[in-house]
Amino acid sequence: MMAIEVKNPALWSGFFRALPEKILSPKDKINLPPELLAQVALNALMLSSMYILMALGFAILLGVMRVLNFAHAVIYMGGGYICYQLAIVYGLNQWLSLMLAAIIMGLFGLFLERFCFRPFFGDVNRTLVMTLALIVIIESVVNILVGTQIRSLPAFASGIIRTGGVSLSVERLVTFIISAALLLVIIFFIQKTKIGQQMLAVSQDDTGAVLQGINIYRVSAVATVIACALAAVAGSLMGAIFSLSPYMGGHMLVKAIEIVILAGIGSIGGVLVAGLILGTIDATLPILMSGSASDVVGLGIVILILLFRPQGLFGHEA
Amino acid sequence: MKGMRGGLTKPICYTVLIILLILLPLFITKLYYIHIFIKTLLYIIVVSSLRTIALSGQVSVAHAAFMGIGGYFSGVISKELGLTPWLTMPMGGLAAMIIAVLIGYPFTRVRAIYFSMVSLLGGIAIVNMIRVLQKWTGSAGLAGIPPLSPINIPGLINITFLGQKVPYYYFTLLLTLGSLLVLYRIEHCRIGMTWKAIAQSYLVASSVGINEAGFRVLALATGCFFAGIAGASYAHYNLVLTPDTFSFLPSIFLVMYMLVGGSDRFSGPIIGTAILVMVPELLRGLKEFTPLIMGAIMLIVVFLMPQGIAGMFDQIRAKYGEVRNRKVPGNAA
Amino acid sequence: MLLETNGLTKSFGGLTAVSNLDMHINQGEIVGLIGPNGAGKTTTFNLITGIHRPTEGNVLFEGSNITGKKPHLVARRGIGRTFQLASLFPDFTVLVNVVASFYLYPKSGFWETLLNTSSYRKKEEYILGRATEILQLLGLNDVKDELAGNLPHGYQKILGVARALAVKPKLLLLDEPIAGMTHKEIEFSLGAFEKMRSQGMTILLVEHNMEIMGLCDRIIVLNFGRKIAEGLPKEVRQNKDVIQAYFGSSDAA
Repeated sequence: MMAIEVKNPALWSGFFRALPEKILSPKDKINLPPELLAQVALNALMLSSMYILMALGFAILLGVMRVLNFAHAVIYMGGGYICYQLAIVYGLNQWLSLMLAAIIMGLFGLFLERFCFRPFFGDVNRTLVMTLALIVIIESVVNILVGTQIRSLPAFASGIIRTGGVSLSVERLVTFIISAALLLVIIFFIQKTKIGQQMLAVSQDDTGAVLQGINIYRVSAVATVIACALAAVAGSLMGAIFSLSPYMGGHMLVKAIEIVILAGIGSIGGVLVAGLILGTIDATLPILMSGSASDVVGLGIVILILLFRPQGLFGHEA
Repeated sequence: MKGMRGGLTKPICYTVLIILLILLPLFITKLYYIHIFIKTLLYIIVVSSLRTIALSGQVSVAHAAFMGIGGYFSGVISKELGLTPWLTMPMGGLAAMIIAVLIGYPFTRVRAIYFSMVSLLGGIAIVNMIRVLQKWTGSAGLAGIPPLSPINIPGLINITFLGQKVPYYYFTLLLTLGSLLVLYRIEHCRIGMTWKAIAQSYLVASSVGINEAGFRVLALATGCFFAGIAGASYAHYNLVLTPDTFSFLPSIFLVMYMLVGGSDRFSGPIIGTAILVMVPELLRGLKEFTPLIMGAIMLIVVFLMPQGIAGMFDQIRAKYGEVRNRKVPGNAA
Repeated sequence: MLLETNGLTKSFGGLTAVSNLDMHINQGEIVGLIGPNGAGKTTTFNLITGIHRPTEGNVLFEGSNITGKKPHLVARRGIGRTFQLASLFPDFTVLVNVVASFYLYPKSGFWETLLNTSSYRKKEEYILGRATEILQLLGLNDVKDELAGNLPHGYQKILGVARALAVKPKLLLLDEPIAGMTHKEIEFSLGAFEKMRSQGMTILLVEHNMEIMGLCDRIIVLNFGRKIAEGLPKEVRQNKDVIQAYFGSSDAA
């Protein structure tokens, strides 16, 4: 049986240090092709769910508050580090740390909305500078406090499951299940609760929503909390599977943007589909070609969409 | 009162400033400071050209990448093909412009904030490409870039650039003044007026026959051309390039320089860049804290000075004199 | 026939904004397009000027098919328009608003403009002259140096028309040109439109305000995207369907 070799991803340095090319990490090198298929499928699901966690929050903020939250990258990263701090430094149970990280980041989201986004509602330039300033500040703070030495959260669950002749990493399985469950909860929340519906209304027509008596500040606050919590969860989960670094958010931000463009501006549901597509591509392509080539595919898709269907797969006409 | 309408004050101030800049190497002899000035001047070109793009309502978060295209293109071509940098630098500018049009065309399909979003992707893709093409761009960076070839007119001038900072300083000063002149002219003629119109309302602009998408691509192309030229100059000055210089974070800083200086006025990017490039140099000891301080400055400006530093002069003038309407083309910035 | 639409239809997802609209405008007419809110009037304008692409049907201007052409190309054909809201450049002065709108005629080339050649300067002077003429025609000359965004509402509306005139339009589409105006402003505007018509302009306008009906040669009534009546103002005023469509609306004549 041939060992499957992953082609060397191009050297990355600088801003983006997360290495999703290492999707098939050494401990997963398997000898049987059918196993490979199952593994790739699991990776695709897991990666998609991570992307969606990140992109959904980003899309919600974009839709509800028309805010291009570049700072989402550092919220993702911050969530991971807070989880690390709680679990490793303070010794709390890792699952508890995950929840706490989400809550803490959610509260930070409240602060963000109230003091950073609300004052500049409608002023695109200043909001942009604000989010950029946030990235710069938070990244450098983390850098100073923690150092760029790459560290990793221990796995949330470990071991290998063998079913039907196929070995799967429990960690990735659990990660996928958790995020899928979380997404289902959020979807339920958006569809079934009043405030969720209000969020949808605001993202489609904010003037109309206000005229209907929807408290746009409350909706914005809820949206920001959800977005930040989701990003924090993604950061922690990814921090366990891969590693933590002050610059890990950049790559995910790029993915989130690609997903939002693919899904379509204004479409929150389309993020699920787009995330699945992009996650699958990123799980399968690096096996066939080098890592940065698969990134080019992502960009290529974006360009094609912009050329031929700028409103995305599910967006409404500009 | 300061700032007479139609003022003589302004041109006089600028002339004095230029004379001072020309005479600079006479009283600043420490080469390190000359280096800072050269860097500042080049970044002034880049940030001013970023503002040119922003005139049309598009804030690009990828501008450093275009500087990189110019730099790498000129550096590689002159190194591999042995052409003189005097030739390859404008080619670098053109390369940046062509790439800008190619990826700009789909990117200008989206407007305003969404444009910023996709420009992020564009910038990252460009830097990725530079890294992927290691064969030419070097695995850790591009080295061995030829310096500007000597200018030799027998009997008249003999200028060597290799190993000298002062000739580079004068070249950069000339380049900057020339570029600013062109950018200023473009902004204050009908082209600039059309860009500003599009930024205010693309619907109204297109209803009077303006091809607003085309004009936005033109803005992008123009801005990126100058960024490319600046990048190419940087390449032949620094003689070494690394992709990190042109990645996401530097692009963010460029936007910041523009907004801190004030994006409303032509002088904004100049003031913003001058201050924000000098500041980290003065704080050399606190290298790790630099981004933090920059971020803090950004926040201060966002909260307290929405018009940027250049805008502050307006506010002062408003208190003590008349504020001319700056939006009318034909008036000096 | 200057403008003609056949079977013009536009659906957004499940919502049909305009349905099977046949209409024609003749040279020199002033035609009113009226109907309750949401009847599809502005959408019709957007379809004609190319902001939306029709789902079905076509638009012919001076005999040639302009269906779905981009807005700036439609403008070049000679159709000018105003917008219901913000039909101007708010950060420019009144004068610059009109000067900026003189993009098409006379047109300066790229290098001409950049190098500030004498031909460019002559064209800009000419534009300045014509812009001032238009401002005087519409009574805006006194406020020419005010920022457009600071003008009172009625002035802003008239400025929208001034801007549209810069295109040398053969057909002018006015979207609610007198909405929100004072009585004096309305009188003035109606006089201006009449003057334009006498100089050969064709106007298609959308309005709620019934005062404008007197100015129109013909009225077309839309409701829920369909044409429900067409004819002379006094005929339309008495039409049962029209009265029913407006029933309950405070605009009933």
